[in-house]
Amino acid sequence: MKQSLPLWHRLSISYLVSTVLFVVSYFVARLLLQINMPAPFNVLAALLPVPFAFLWISKFIQHIRQLDELQRRIHLEALAVAFPLTFLLLLTLGLLELTITLPAEDWSYRHVWAMLPLLYFVGLALAKRRYA
Amino acid sequence: MKNTLRVLRAEQNWSQSDLAERLEVSRQTIHAIENEKYDPSLPLAFKIAHLFGKSLEEIFFPDHD
Repeated sequence: MKQSLPLWHRLSISYLVSTVLFVVSYFVARLLLQINMPAPFNVLAALLPVPFAFLWISKFIQHIRQLDELQRRIHLEALAVAFPLTFLLLLTLGLLELTITLPAEDWSYRHVWAMLPLLYFVGLALAKRRYA
Repeated sequence: MKNTLRVLRAEQNWSQSDLAERLEVSRQTIHAIENEKYDPSLPLAFKIAHLFGKSLEEIFFPDHD
């Protein structure tokens, strides 16, 4: 008899798969944009990660909903670290741009967005340690 | 908030995982409650009390008591 996986396990797998799809779609879009495609194909390539991002967001919400109260608090504390720090980084970069020329190759939006998940994982590690 | 969860669990010879499964929470949550690093919500506290057949006051009490 086929035994189905528990709900939390199925959600975790679908969450993981959606994360991988989103990340892969981003890098595929980056690769496609290196080819000089005519409009509207270049725009479509740039928008390629968007549906995968929506899929990932819905799976992330489902994942959070099936967690228990402490795990939810841990994620909330991780967000409380990541969100204001990313906001501060963007704010500071915006102010710096008014006075100096920042190299776009190092400080454009396509580099800075990665700080949000990175700081989220830092916040997650700090919160997990707090309750360990 | 202090609690007697560890003692109650030991009396039943349950592991943290056993108790977590019965309460439908993670083992980490049980660990954090037992070590008084996390105070459970009222619904979870009632669930714990119901599981052990005790009142809330018999399991949870303020630090200053």
